[in-house]
Amino acid sequence: MPMQMPRKSALLFAATALCALALASCGGNDDSGSGTITVYSGRSEELIGPLVSRYEARSGNDVEVRYGDTAELASTILEEDDKSPADVFFSQDAGALGALEKEGLLAQLPADVVDDVDPRYRSRAGRWVATSARARVVAYNRDRVKRSELPRSILDFTDERWKGRIGWAPTNGSFQAFVTALRLLKGEDAARKWLEGIVANDPEVFDDNEPIRDALGKGELDVGFINHYYVAQARAKEGAEYPVEVYFPPGGDPGSLVNVAGIGILESSDQQEEAERFTRFMHSREAQEHFARDVKEYPVAAGVAADRRLVPLERIQQPRLDLSNLDDLRGTLKLIQESGAL
Amino acid sequence: MATAATVPTAPVAEALPPAPGRAPRRAPRGLVVGAIAVAVPMALPLAYLAVVVAQDASLAWDTIWRDQTLRLLLRSSALAVAVTLSAVALALPLSWLVTRTDLPGRRVWTVLTTLPLVIPSYIGAYLMVSALGPHGLVQDLLAEPFGVERLPSIYGFFGAWLVLTLFTYPLVLLTVRATLARLDPQLEEAARGMGRSGWSTYRTVVLPQLMPAIGAGGLLVALYVLSDFGAVSILRFDSFTRVIYASYRASFDRIGAASLAALLVAAMFVVLWLEGRTRRRFAYYRTAPGAARRPQHVRLGPWRWPALAFCATVALLALVVPVSVLVYWSLQSVAGDPNWSEISSAAVDSVTAAGLAAAIAAVCAIPVAMLAARYPSRLAAVIERVTFTGYALPHIVVALTLVFFGTRVALPLYQTLAMLVFAFVVLLLPLAVGATRASLLQVSPRLEEAARSVGRGPLAVLRTITAPLAAGGVAAGAALVFLTAVKELPATLVLAPIGFETLSTEIWTATSVGFYERGAIPSLVLLVISAPPLYLLTTRHQP
Amino acid sequence: MTLADPPTDRATLASTADRDVALRCTGVRKSYGPVRAVDGVDLEVEAGAICALLGPSGCGKTTMLRLIGGFERPDAGEIEIAGSAVAGARTFVPPQRRRVGMVFQDYALFPHFDVAGNVAYALGRKAAPGRVAEVLRLVGLESLGDRYPNELSGGQQQRVALARALAPTPKTILLDEPFSNLDAGLRARVRQETREILLAAGVTAVFVTHDQEEALSLADVVAVMRDGRVVQAGTPEHVYGRPSDHWVAGFLGDAVVLRGEAHDGSVTCELGRFAADGSFAGPVDVLIRPESISLSTMPGRQDTQEAVVLHREFYGHDQLVTVRLESGTEVRSRSIAFPAWHPGDQVRLAVDGPVNVLQVALR
Repeated sequence: MPMQMPRKSALLFAATALCALALASCGGNDDSGSGTITVYSGRSEELIGPLVSRYEARSGNDVEVRYGDTAELASTILEEDDKSPADVFFSQDAGALGALEKEGLLAQLPADVVDDVDPRYRSRAGRWVATSARARVVAYNRDRVKRSELPRSILDFTDERWKGRIGWAPTNGSFQAFVTALRLLKGEDAARKWLEGIVANDPEVFDDNEPIRDALGKGELDVGFINHYYVAQARAKEGAEYPVEVYFPPGGDPGSLVNVAGIGILESSDQQEEAERFTRFMHSREAQEHFARDVKEYPVAAGVAADRRLVPLERIQQPRLDLSNLDDLRGTLKLIQESGAL
Repeated sequence: MATAATVPTAPVAEALPPAPGRAPRRAPRGLVVGAIAVAVPMALPLAYLAVVVAQDASLAWDTIWRDQTLRLLLRSSALAVAVTLSAVALALPLSWLVTRTDLPGRRVWTVLTTLPLVIPSYIGAYLMVSALGPHGLVQDLLAEPFGVERLPSIYGFFGAWLVLTLFTYPLVLLTVRATLARLDPQLEEAARGMGRSGWSTYRTVVLPQLMPAIGAGGLLVALYVLSDFGAVSILRFDSFTRVIYASYRASFDRIGAASLAALLVAAMFVVLWLEGRTRRRFAYYRTAPGAARRPQHVRLGPWRWPALAFCATVALLALVVPVSVLVYWSLQSVAGDPNWSEISSAAVDSVTAAGLAAAIAAVCAIPVAMLAARYPSRLAAVIERVTFTGYALPHIVVALTLVFFGTRVALPLYQTLAMLVFAFVVLLLPLAVGATRASLLQVSPRLEEAARSVGRGPLAVLRTITAPLAAGGVAAGAALVFLTAVKELPATLVLAPIGFETLSTEIWTATSVGFYERGAIPSLVLLVISAPPLYLLTTRHQP
Repeated sequence: MTLADPPTDRATLASTADRDVALRCTGVRKSYGPVRAVDGVDLEVEAGAICALLGPSGCGKTTMLRLIGGFERPDAGEIEIAGSAVAGARTFVPPQRRRVGMVFQDYALFPHFDVAGNVAYALGRKAAPGRVAEVLRLVGLESLGDRYPNELSGGQQQRVALARALAPTPKTILLDEPFSNLDAGLRARVRQETREILLAAGVTAVFVTHDQEEALSLADVVAVMRDGRVVQAGTPEHVYGRPSDHWVAGFLGDAVVLRGEAHDGSVTCELGRFAADGSFAGPVDVLIRPESISLSTMPGRQDTQEAVVLHREFYGHDQLVTVRLESGTEVRSRSIAFPAWHPGDQVRLAVDGPVNVLQVALR
């Protein structure tokens, strides 16, 4: 047996070498046909997969999507710089788009796309644009809390009366975006006081919004700080009997922050036309209705209505904020950790 | 027939002092060149960190000196120490029970106690939270009949410590068990003859001989804990890696993140230095002729029951609980008609990428291991330590390293399978080097000299004598790399060709939108394909 | 006081001109850091001879062997095998090209080949058919070809190692303590068998040992080493019977040393007057081996001494008796075990064998 080793090892070596050669040709970013675009998406395949397929069918072009975490993909693009194979970046939040814009990596979007959208939901320079919006809300179980009991501002939830009745998810990105907004709008001290006050009220800690909603639905919790569409999705499934409602603190309160998911086209892309066509598609009636109807988010294109059961976007008294400025979450995280929330 | 050990071990601390006639010789130039050729690409993350930090050195410096940085580094270090100690504390009695006693069902326990290695720690963490967390299955089960309101919190230090211990102790178990199986029983018999009790013999004779294996396995555990992010974030433990990830996620601050990663590399060198102190200086190989006598098995008698209970508890916590949750969810998911073709193509892709990585890592490990085992020197130690860089860093850092160099230097290879496999090798080479080196140490250099004395050149000796005898270790190293590569996630997300889905990315896709049940079937498939290499690892030594 | 190669020793190895020298080492040195393992060794071994490198552990004998084999490089000096230089200032021939067989202390049998495979390995691809069987027959293991090393006894393993080293018909073969791992009872027999095998194969052999019995019984030439040097080389009779200094004397066997006075070709000491080399004069040490001292109760001989037996050790085939002379000096005598002496016996002591004279050892 050992005597055959030399022959066996030579074969093994040859096999490995062949494999290595085969490897090198596997994958790679060759444009397999003109018009193919590459999208880096922080939005899940679940969410936008159907839209991508429809776009491919419609345009006759291929779309290659790399799904991943928004921040990691943004970091990747920052690292790739102008060599990035990506043509389009589909982001879960405005902060990541802001970061890329600051580095000059995003291209100017065509006027018709930009003008279609409320100026609050795009970059000032028109280099990124929202595809849908979502609002922070105070969700509550209507069997356990009367609407009249709810305070005017989210800041008032530090009151003792809410001890043990609140649920939140300090690790969640939307929550952290909210705290950043709080810092920008009310200042560091107010933000710190709020965080510490809620912590003192012994909140129940979850690691995502969905479990908060489920706990509210089961009556295990009285109020929770989540995004609006979770409740809408549940109601659509459970029916009108579903006991959870949403409340938007009025008067430009940070508790009603509206954040967006959006798209930007990379400056380095050599498929600018195709990329623009893709972006336009995401603003088309079809795509916007998908966001509205299936995901229960707020559409941003003019003329497309949100789900009827939602509070209309215009009626939400949003705080005034440039969403691009939500890209510095480092200070937010520090504050959250220092206050003992994490 | 003598076969070689499986153990992954750690680098050589320094040149051995020369015994008369046994001094370390100068290494053949070809070998040194080969080892350096492997070490240089492995050092790419270091180059990346240096380049990025240089972009704004003062920011990097400030980042390192923030209170939070040092505080979290201490926290992570504390966790690493705690997990390493408890992993060793689990591995020592388990290894003893399955190797040296008459425990019933030893073969089964050997496999069961090593099996937790196939569970990725982030999945394991999630399953443990689902089972033992405040809204978990176990609490639901206990709430009704026992009125248990809340279990002790699974979050924080305690949870992180528990979960990481349960899923990393097999790394120590593997190395210790292999060494224990090869110990010469004469030393213990001598001690017993001098009147030492069983425990005293273990402490003074067996344990010192096991120190290198404990050091080797402990090293892998410690570095793993320092670099892990998935598990600690699910368990809400504020760790050093979290700051690194937060820098990427929250502020897109690559410079700050790179400086923190550099700090982690410094910590890695400290850990490696500590491990070097556990190395022993005499030979591993047997110099006396004849086969080693098998040690006598200790009769447990009535101690059998507590021993079985102990093994069962470990297996229950580390294996049965997580797998049960997975099976439970899988059954629920099956009802929803899972996409089998997607899962099976993901499985094929996982196996392809991991298999290629394992093969290439095994080959690359050989020159490094040969240098370290046969010609120990300062250079050999440096080379071996450098190869640990990828293993000690969070995967996202290694991924970005390759993004950086890929886009600037090797664009045609960027986002190809080749680059992904390369990333795996950078991440996991130490696993292969350790196992190969351990089995090389078991091959006496006298055998190689004997072959030279009958006229065979160095290459022929390597091929006909060293390689066949060390083959077991090389295979074990490849198996370990495969096991680990198949569950890798962060680098895959960033570097794989678009459309190349592995089981890990499938799981991630499902769980990132909250469909945890949908991630259960790919998870089970992942465990199943990890089983054969693990079986290979555990059955190499059956005393 | 050490003496390296006094001229007399060389002379006993026959004149250089027509001799066939299989191995020649000149001024070989090897250090490991501050440790000088081999410190200037000169050695010559005739073709077909068996040479023993004898010395205590740490004397450098194994290093010397490895230097000859090519497993270490000398720091200085030259080594020639069969007339061609294999190590020197500008040469170094690696072991695989020296055609020198090697038998290691732990035999180093390849565990993944059977016995026949181990031997065949040494022959490589150009193996003549039947050579393996021939060699195995030479060492008496022809029926064990398909056993694996771990299935053999120590003695059998040693013979396989020998067979493997001899298979490619080397001119020279090196053996590193080849009998130290064998049971004492087996050793003597295996030694003789090995000597016969080596002679039958016609190879030059150099072996390393710390056992002086082994060296004396096996070798044609014994080179005694101490602290990295050869302190005396010669035939076994020579190094045993005419040790060049106290240390060699004591190392090679038991020795009784008495102070004496030499002049005019004779030396006088407590046990009598004996012939000595004319070059000695003045105070000297007289060295007598215990087997040269005999005891009896018979009166009559002129040159006997009175002594009393102190104690006696019985070894089966001989006895070692310690006696005290009238002057108080204690002396040992070795003889066959009959007649048996007992403590307190009055005996007469005579010197019946060779007597050596040495310079007085410096304290």
